[in-house]
Amino acid sequence: MKLKQWSLLAALTVTLPLAACGGDDGASSTSDAPATSEAPSTSEGGSVFVTGSSTVEPISIKVGELAGTAEGGNLKVTVEGPGTGDGFKKFCAGDSDITGASRAIKEEEATLCADAGIEYIELAVAIDGLTVATSPANTAIECLDKAALYALVGPESEGFSSWADANAIAGELGSAFATLPDAPLSIYGPGEESGTYDSFVEFAFKSISEDRGTDMVSRADYTASPNDNVIVDGIESADTSLGWVGYAYYKAEEARMKAIAIADKEGACVLPTDETIADGSYPFSRTLYIYVNKAKAVENPAIAAYVDLYLSAQGGEQVSAAGYVQLDSATQQLSLDAWTARG
Amino acid sequence: MNGLLAVADLRGDPRRRAHDRRMRRLLGGSALVTIIVSALILFVLARGTIDFLRSIGWNFGILRDLSEAPGWFPRRERFDLLTIFLGSVIMGMIAMLVAVPLGLGTAVYLSEFAPTKVRKILKPIVEVLAGIPSVIVGYFALKFIAPNIVTPIFSPDQPRNMLVSGLAIGVLVVPIMASISEDALRAVPSSLREASYGIGARKSTTTIRIVIPAAVSGIVAAFIIATSRAIGETMVAAMAGGRDGSGPRTLNPLEPGLTMTAAMTNAAGGTDQVNSGAPFQVLFFVGLLLFLMTMTLNVIGDRFVQRVRQQY
Amino acid sequence: MAIVTESQRSITRSEVHQTITRQSKHLPSIALGVVLLIAVSFTLLTLFALLARIVTQAIPALTEKGTGFLTDTIGSEASKVGIWPGLFGSFGIGLGVLVIAVPLGVGAAIYLEEYAKQNAMTRFIVVNIRNLAGVPAVIYGVLGLIIFVGWLKPVTNGGSVIAAALTLAILVLPIVIITSMEAIRAVPRGLRDAGYGIGASRWEVTRDHVIPYAMPGILTGTVLSLARALGEAAPLIMIGAITGLLPETSLSGKFTAIPMLIFSWSGRPDSGESSVGWSNAAAAAGLVLLVLVLAFNIVGILLRNHFEAKRVGS
Repeated sequence: MKLKQWSLLAALTVTLPLAACGGDDGASSTSDAPATSEAPSTSEGGSVFVTGSSTVEPISIKVGELAGTAEGGNLKVTVEGPGTGDGFKKFCAGDSDITGASRAIKEEEATLCADAGIEYIELAVAIDGLTVATSPANTAIECLDKAALYALVGPESEGFSSWADANAIAGELGSAFATLPDAPLSIYGPGEESGTYDSFVEFAFKSISEDRGTDMVSRADYTASPNDNVIVDGIESADTSLGWVGYAYYKAEEARMKAIAIADKEGACVLPTDETIADGSYPFSRTLYIYVNKAKAVENPAIAAYVDLYLSAQGGEQVSAAGYVQLDSATQQLSLDAWTARG
Repeated sequence: MNGLLAVADLRGDPRRRAHDRRMRRLLGGSALVTIIVSALILFVLARGTIDFLRSIGWNFGILRDLSEAPGWFPRRERFDLLTIFLGSVIMGMIAMLVAVPLGLGTAVYLSEFAPTKVRKILKPIVEVLAGIPSVIVGYFALKFIAPNIVTPIFSPDQPRNMLVSGLAIGVLVVPIMASISEDALRAVPSSLREASYGIGARKSTTTIRIVIPAAVSGIVAAFIIATSRAIGETMVAAMAGGRDGSGPRTLNPLEPGLTMTAAMTNAAGGTDQVNSGAPFQVLFFVGLLLFLMTMTLNVIGDRFVQRVRQQY
Repeated sequence: MAIVTESQRSITRSEVHQTITRQSKHLPSIALGVVLLIAVSFTLLTLFALLARIVTQAIPALTEKGTGFLTDTIGSEASKVGIWPGLFGSFGIGLGVLVIAVPLGVGAAIYLEEYAKQNAMTRFIVVNIRNLAGVPAVIYGVLGLIIFVGWLKPVTNGGSVIAAALTLAILVLPIVIITSMEAIRAVPRGLRDAGYGIGASRWEVTRDHVIPYAMPGILTGTVLSLARALGEAAPLIMIGAITGLLPETSLSGKFTAIPMLIFSWSGRPDSGESSVGWSNAAAAAGLVLLVLVLAFNIVGILLRNHFEAKRVGS
């Protein structure tokens, strides 16, 4: 009986590495396929690994699902969303084929890629908006500008418990909305580890905090929750609340909050809608990108097929399905051109 | 030919001896692996801690946030250790408030009161409870304890908070408390109980004034080990604690809180900012502190367990 | 001579016995019994509530998908997801525990109980093992991230099933060692002495007598540590398990495991659009994990009771 036990154990230890080797073949088997001039279809199979932003992740997943099932497609697309920064680290180390980003690549990240010899193609794929909202019962506030937001939510506003407390700083900054009412100010938003938080502070505070020499952060004493539902609950519950969520979530829960229009550079108040976000007139919108590894795209037709699908009309549908806004046709064409023009 | 036996004759087949020596070395190597594991853990944590301290310029003052609203905001380089320490301690205390009555009560019942048939059914059930993975207890906290128990009774500002998390962690460690206490209680020799009955004491007196004090070493051990487990718990705190990697310092259990363990997992996950430097490396520092805390508790608890074993 | 007087002789033996054991009429004892029973009931009630919650939430997802839940992969819609990649990953982890932790752990236990001299070094090793058993899982996750995903990348290919299996094997190693040591310690001295007496070497006595005798205890420890490894999620978060889309499973590619899926899905909001939301998917995955883990635990407990009874009887 002992002999059988030992040999079973030996058999297991031998077969494990063999099985491990078997798993690698998936990615390399398509390297022999020649790069054709026409777009390879998704039916040829192959593997793609997408990392990057957790904001872009839902779109990449939906396109990946499409690529795996649509009309005989059998691409194996693996998608994770550790974050834009983490994604660039992996991408520039050659560990991923594609990385999604909720902002353009930073200089130091571009240098990282260049040093590692990784050439990439930057493709805009969608637009994400940020909605600043208050309770539907709040009739006093219709529009705010960046200066007012900074005065209400910025780093110098720690401890402000009423909207009127912000009037001083708003006045200093030359805001057109420095006559805020004296009403309880309860703020709800995502925590600082959320991409939505990053976008908000960048949209609302960037230039102001540079001018004033403060950190580009919000005040610390607001109700932060990673759960969008809790944020919306908060906004709905207090009559004079203030909060911000991603546009996708706002669309889904429109009845429960009242969007605040944001004053653009000319002072015109713009409400967030699909159109104003798509054409860029709404100030708080950001482009979502994917970065594709050029060399890998040539080697692996699956990557090319996946990106083709991403930039196609079907891919655009997935953008909407994930709750984001599709690019307008001009920008879409730019992305397509950049992609087809790849070396 | 010499009829006397020499030592060499008794030695045995040299092949078998060599085989025995080989096995000795092989098995010794296995035991050595455990030392290597410990060394690696310490090395990894220490190296990361040094990296972290270097990236904050060895400025230990940064670890105590003296501002008006102190808090743990790693991405703003605000590392108020007290925030996450309080998070772990408060949830741990709530957990033990749940686990001690339920666990010790169950243990005393099983050991002193339960008829054999009932014990045969109940004890395996408690052991089954011990096997429930912490993710599932976390799910239970999120989807049952929060909406159905804490929110209706206490109406907190946020549904996920330290009370929810603490209660769930308590449920998680009840089996540990129960089983170690029960072992300690059963280890008390029946002669002590019989002597007590012999002089006319009743069950309640015997249990409370004789058996439990006799088992106190083991009960303390159970408490310490359960506390260590509660402080080391990650999943429940991450799922139901209410904070996702940053938060202000608070003492109010109805507010969301962040434990040392959840701070570590959140530091490991990136955000849409570049994920390196102090906000990432702080996880090693917190890990080292956590390692030292739980090790101290475990060493003390283990001492008590060994004392129980030796006493009887 | 009559020592007992008239009045004393009237008390019978049974009456004395009754007086001593007449617990039923003692209020404080009854009260204590009731209080303890309440404590026990609370414990059982909590367990029941937990299981009931998981089962009721899991039913919509399972009835919708049937066995497809076990074979489909993860994705973006709660009503369409399955846990196949999680099952694959968890299976790989289980295999890793069996192949790595059990031989290493039993080997170390044998050495410490049979071979090692009882000196300070041995005591240090044993104390160290007890410490490792109490180290939080998240710290093993850090170890796994740096060593198995980082240093050993050429072998494990980064965050893969192999890396996860190694990490969890190291996590349960102390438990395997401790339970095996207790099992080996319980082997009667006489058995060993008999072997030595006829000239067997230490390894031969161990292999042919001690290990077989201790096997039930070792098996129990193995099964319990397997259950533990399958249920841990914190190390998986640190190593980088996938929760987005994972159509391919392999030992060296990206991976995920059931506890990670439960964790991820529990945090996703229920969109309320279909009858199957992420809560249901998470509960269904939780049910599968519970069944697996509880099955292992029950097998372990039964094994232990069975062999303990057999031992006592013989």
